[in-house]
Amino acid sequence: MNWTLALPELVLALSGLAILVAGVLPRRDMTFPCTMMVLGAFLLSGAFVLTQPDGMGFGGQYISDAFARFMKVLVLAGAALALLLALDWNRAEGLSRFEYPVLVLFATLGMMVMISANDLMSLYLGLELLSLPLYVMAAFHRDNARSSEAGLKYFVLGALSSGLMLYGMSLVYGFAGTTNFAQLAQVLGGTAPISAGVVVGIVFIITGLCFKVAAVPFHMWTPDVYEGAPTSVVAYFATATKVGAIAAIVRVLAGPFGGAVDQWQQVIVLASIASMILGAFAAIGQTNIKRLMAYSWISHTGFVLMGLAVGTEAGLRGVLIYTPIYLMMSLGAFSVLVAMRRNGHAVENIQDLAGLGRTDPAMALGMAIFMFAMAGIPPLSGFFAKLYVLLPAVEAGFWLMAVVAVLSSVVSAYYYLRVVKVMYFDASTGALDARPSGVSFVLAGTGLFTMFFFLMPAPLLAAARQAVAALIG
Amino acid sequence: MIAGLAFYFFAFILIAAAVMVVTARNPVHSVIWLIAAFFNAAALFLIAGAEFLAMILVIVYVGAVAVLFLFVVMMLDVDFAQLREGVQRYAPIGAVVGGILFLELLLVLSVWRFAPDAAALRMAPMPEGVTNTEAIGRILYTDHIYLFQISGLILLVAMIGAIVLTLRDRPGTKRQDVGAQIARSSAVAMARPELGEGIRREDILRPLPPPAKEAPKPVTHEGGHH
Amino acid sequence: MLDIGLAHYLVVSAILFVLGVFGIFMNRKNVIVILMSVELILLSVNLNLVAFSAQLGDLTGQVFAMFILTVAAAEAAIGLAIVVIYFRNRGSIEVEDISTLKG
Repeated sequence: MNWTLALPELVLALSGLAILVAGVLPRRDMTFPCTMMVLGAFLLSGAFVLTQPDGMGFGGQYISDAFARFMKVLVLAGAALALLLALDWNRAEGLSRFEYPVLVLFATLGMMVMISANDLMSLYLGLELLSLPLYVMAAFHRDNARSSEAGLKYFVLGALSSGLMLYGMSLVYGFAGTTNFAQLAQVLGGTAPISAGVVVGIVFIITGLCFKVAAVPFHMWTPDVYEGAPTSVVAYFATATKVGAIAAIVRVLAGPFGGAVDQWQQVIVLASIASMILGAFAAIGQTNIKRLMAYSWISHTGFVLMGLAVGTEAGLRGVLIYTPIYLMMSLGAFSVLVAMRRNGHAVENIQDLAGLGRTDPAMALGMAIFMFAMAGIPPLSGFFAKLYVLLPAVEAGFWLMAVVAVLSSVVSAYYYLRVVKVMYFDASTGALDARPSGVSFVLAGTGLFTMFFFLMPAPLLAAARQAVAALIG
Repeated sequence: MIAGLAFYFFAFILIAAAVMVVTARNPVHSVIWLIAAFFNAAALFLIAGAEFLAMILVIVYVGAVAVLFLFVVMMLDVDFAQLREGVQRYAPIGAVVGGILFLELLLVLSVWRFAPDAAALRMAPMPEGVTNTEAIGRILYTDHIYLFQISGLILLVAMIGAIVLTLRDRPGTKRQDVGAQIARSSAVAMARPELGEGIRREDILRPLPPPAKEAPKPVTHEGGHH
Repeated sequence: MLDIGLAHYLVVSAILFVLGVFGIFMNRKNVIVILMSVELILLSVNLNLVAFSAQLGDLTGQVFAMFILTVAAAEAAIGLAIVVIYFRNRGSIEVEDISTLKG
């Protein structure tokens, strides 16, 4: 049974239940204490993650390895910082309810279950424990038509993609005879040809996972949900949950389906190329900065899938380096988006940033750093992220993908630089409200990481290498 | 033989009901066809030997989920005629795509075969000599305790989510306030009025005059809620 | 003809699955029917799992189907709650009516 292995998850689940009780019983507003308690629970769970030994638990349904620990630390850090950003925004918008941090906690728990999944059933249940709170959070501003519309669209498409994925899982279970990842890897890695049923099952599963990472044929929900949902919620969507989704797709494709790489490689290559192209070109005409960030993510997802499609150790290491760097850039950019308020009202057009270079030089500098980094301009961290997935693609001979990646980077630099231009060279339309201290904290931390990553890349590279080694054994 | 006939019977009704679910003009009819589909699927589960799941399907789906659907359909005052507009437009393309998808699935299933060692990989072989329910009970709370707990958390999250989204304290709602009820008892005192005089003479315990009737408020529709 | 094997179940389940997908694309305006189509897809998955479970003599499929039933109930509850607040805000349940969010 070996249940002590899952201590990080158990601690998080139990504190979630305790915090829920603590939020319900008192008659006053418990949002702030609950948020602080959830942050404490994340910290505690993170400490347990760091001390977690390797091994399998619960009859092979749960696995703890270097990959799981790497991704879980990122998820917990991203969730904690996004929650910090949400605190002030939710209060200002009248969304201050103690259920919000509790839902964030359970969604994060779902991601941890998904990351540690070693069985199709744990993967599915973790994914649903992540998705259900996300549907609710997207519609959290329940008196706002746009927010409930975003929730509805996200729900319908999410439920459809879960259904497709489940159908695939049932075919894989039926034709391979098992749901366990280790045994699946054994079956698919053998010399015998792979049953057509399993291949169709894998395709359905990839469809579902592509939806979760918003890769191109299944990206339609992203811009609408980003625009409609409250900014504080989008800050969580765009950071922590992306890490979880990347972890799930990497775990599934590199682990149990690693032996069937010929069957899925072409699909991922196409999704990657399409995502990079669409992300670059569709973002050009956007005026809403949340939509811009949505297309920006679609383009980044193309780069992540590029590393995955290459499939080599170097490619996977590139993915694992890309993930934390993207997490930091995105958290930083969203800390600025959350701070975009004028006269107490949230504003979300790119033009609303005009003149920020004079009215709030520190925040403008931070935003400029994140935009340059996302465009991949050296020596910022984003450049290295792109480099580490581009080089393996070139080495493995994926020329088309590499060329598209470079060209799409050039195109996307246009819209990132446009944001910088608006901030520094356009006439101000009035200063933004003073930023809350939580925003300043996240802005400073992520800005320093993005700026000075090139001085000390070694610890991250070493951790990523270790995680990949655990993944492909 | 009997099982074969029963299979065709239930499978046919299941598919017919499913067709009606997606094509019925009235969502209330859709829900009722959905209930029929669940009953027939439960029968198919029985034929395959999954008695416990068949019963759960009837209890959980027909008893809870379908009723929830029915409740929401009836609660929302939707103009359903208007919702049908898109159907004619999408029906041909939908039928073509659905047909292609179905043919592809058939193609795959017609060449199906199991992985060579599928039998050896079984994680929970069916034990001999116990009922289906007992066999599931033996592994659900032991081998699958981790997943069982996670599904419990999923139900908790669904509960929190549904409450967060739909529960609202309307200002006019009357609620029981236990504290106020208990505190009130100290304000009630026994009095002994003179015989035939009534309580009015005491002058202090006179019941308060009823509050002046407020002018009826104009009915406000909050955001399109009829 | 009257021997019932795995293939019969898989075909019935494939038909249900296709009907579910078809229902989602055909009833684009009516969210409640879309939710019911999702339930049909999940039912087809459960039918698949039960059939495989019987064929392989392995209970894992039935346990998986039970977890799916649980999650499907939770999903229906959340979905209907979102439909209710959407209706309160907009006075209709059309998804395609997306004048406020356009791409």
